[in-house]
Amino acid sequence: MEPRSIKVGLPRAFLYHRYKDMWKAFFDALGVETVVSAPTVRADLDNGSAVAIDETCVSEKIWFGHVQQLIGKCDHILVPRISSVGKERIFCTRFEALPDITRAVFYASGQSIVDYNIDVQKKSSEEDAFIDLGVKLGFAPREAKRAYKDALRADAKIWKQRVAAEEKKLTGPGMKVLICAHSYVLEDSYIGKPVLDFLRENDVKAIRADICDRDAARRKCAALSPTCHWELNCEIMGSAALRADKVDGVILMSAFPCGPDSMVNEMMMRKIKGVPMLNIVLDGQNGTAGLETRLESFIDIIRFKEGLL
Amino acid sequence: MKSALDQRKRCALPRYGNYNCVFRYLLEKGVNVKCILPPEITRKTVDIGARNSPDFVCVPFKTLLGSMIEALEAGADTLIMPGGACRLGYYGELHEQILRDMGYEFEMINIAEYGDLGKNILKIIKRINPKAKVSAFLMAALDAVKMLDYVDEITAQMYQNCGFEINKGEYKKAYNRFLSDMFRAESRNDIEDGYKRVKDAFAAIAIDKPEHPLRVGLLGEYFTIMDPPSNLYIEEKLADMGVEVWRWLNLSNRQFKENSDRNLHVRIRDLCRYDMGPTSTETLWSAKKWAEDGFDGLIHVKSANCTPEIDLMPMLQRVGQEHKLPILFQNYDTQTSDVGLMTRLEAFYDMISMKKRV
Repeated sequence: MEPRSIKVGLPRAFLYHRYKDMWKAFFDALGVETVVSAPTVRADLDNGSAVAIDETCVSEKIWFGHVQQLIGKCDHILVPRISSVGKERIFCTRFEALPDITRAVFYASGQSIVDYNIDVQKKSSEEDAFIDLGVKLGFAPREAKRAYKDALRADAKIWKQRVAAEEKKLTGPGMKVLICAHSYVLEDSYIGKPVLDFLRENDVKAIRADICDRDAARRKCAALSPTCHWELNCEIMGSAALRADKVDGVILMSAFPCGPDSMVNEMMMRKIKGVPMLNIVLDGQNGTAGLETRLESFIDIIRFKEGLL
Repeated sequence: MKSALDQRKRCALPRYGNYNCVFRYLLEKGVNVKCILPPEITRKTVDIGARNSPDFVCVPFKTLLGSMIEALEAGADTLIMPGGACRLGYYGELHEQILRDMGYEFEMINIAEYGDLGKNILKIIKRINPKAKVSAFLMAALDAVKMLDYVDEITAQMYQNCGFEINKGEYKKAYNRFLSDMFRAESRNDIEDGYKRVKDAFAAIAIDKPEHPLRVGLLGEYFTIMDPPSNLYIEEKLADMGVEVWRWLNLSNRQFKENSDRNLHVRIRDLCRYDMGPTSTETLWSAKKWAEDGFDGLIHVKSANCTPEIDLMPMLQRVGQEHKLPILFQNYDTQTSDVGLMTRLEAFYDMISMKKRV
């Protein structure tokens, strides 16, 4: 297809980490050029904090930092709105409001923001949303639909590989720790990566709870906690319950003050028993020394428990 | 302990503003169970709740947990917890888990489990009391809705006028009498009598209201704004300074009048394209409406960590800037003190009254 001269900016925060493969395939199929903001550094968090309401979560402040990076560097910035993806399958209200918040915060910059709206409970499916996005960017509905189908296939393929790789880590020797966190916390280079790096340096295999067979995890979660409807937390909780007996420890990690996590992590601590559990709340702190001390002592506890220390 | 004479279930809903009279009427008359009324929320309630709650959950969770504990201590054997659209939908389940881990024994009726309330209301009633009669419930529900309407109407009237009464305390006295009538109402007649009495009493109170009084609108989060102990009686404090206090958000407006969010949302299309969650449409709509009506100031009342209300603050700031309207953002957590609130309100009052005079 003939490339059209549109450039779409993708902030490397929030749902980018969940949908990046899909977005890439979708825009590639349409021949739209994309630009992704650079991985998070301290300055992004600072810039984001400067424009955000001080009470919002760290992840949203990081999001604003990334949006700021992209202003003036592309034609449109993509901000998805995801409210519900099925009956009793909802997202945090923050994702429901994200396009409007972003528009309000960067109101003065004049930057064009393009959104798509997934709200299955109000009859707007993922397919409708992507077709709508294509139309907004100037493509025919049919082109957009084909691109969406391609993207869906590509995403499913990559996802299957990632899940298989994660499952493989569960077997074999060595200390295994399950990390329960949203992908946008864990994959963020400023708040989540130091934790993963530290674990790797200490010869601990970190298994990510959010990379899992999503349907199986959701079924498990429905049995464990029937009124937990947050899609992302449901996947993490179900996956943790399924894998808890295959690992040596579980780390719960959330960005302060994450709404769903504040309750679901508490529930997980009360429901999943028989495995050491560490609850870490990440704030926008400068040093990692405090974090390292806690991780170190957690690893020591596991070693001590298994008679290795 | 149950008395030999009264073997009915002892149900309780946590304390929620002045609405427990409505819940009580509905449960006792409609479902034929005994309703246990938890004591009014105090500092102690919040402390017990906070001690047993997760750290950074929103404050209503802690307050309601405290109120549930107090209800159980007061003899309730069944707890009823309504659900909602945001974190509220998960409250019931986590409350139950925490209370069970604390060792309490009770039956939990978590309305969030039933999904669509309209379709499942009869199931819920049968679960509370299998012998309940649907006809009795429907009759009681009609009366309860009427009572709810009256409570909201009288409350609104009270805070719009009580700041200007000549003999201080007359409104409050009539209002308290009305509430206690509602808490003891046994029939539709009792409700109507109580309403008529308070209307007459209000009409007889002499007030001295200037032609253009200071008008302040309260908007914000569902629980904190409607529960006076949780918002440290902000309406009363403001009214006492000689201000007309307006609040749109109450149970009857929210649940029964403008129950189509879409109708409100069209009027704030320039602020936000999509529905932003629970009460955000109402909050933004009332802010815009009051700004256009020439109010002197707005106060945004919310509990700490309330996600939907935090999300709409940028738009609220925009309304304030565009209409040159002062907005006080008042945030409540378990530590907020009476004195701190008073200082802020006084400063706000001074500011808007100076602005009005100029």
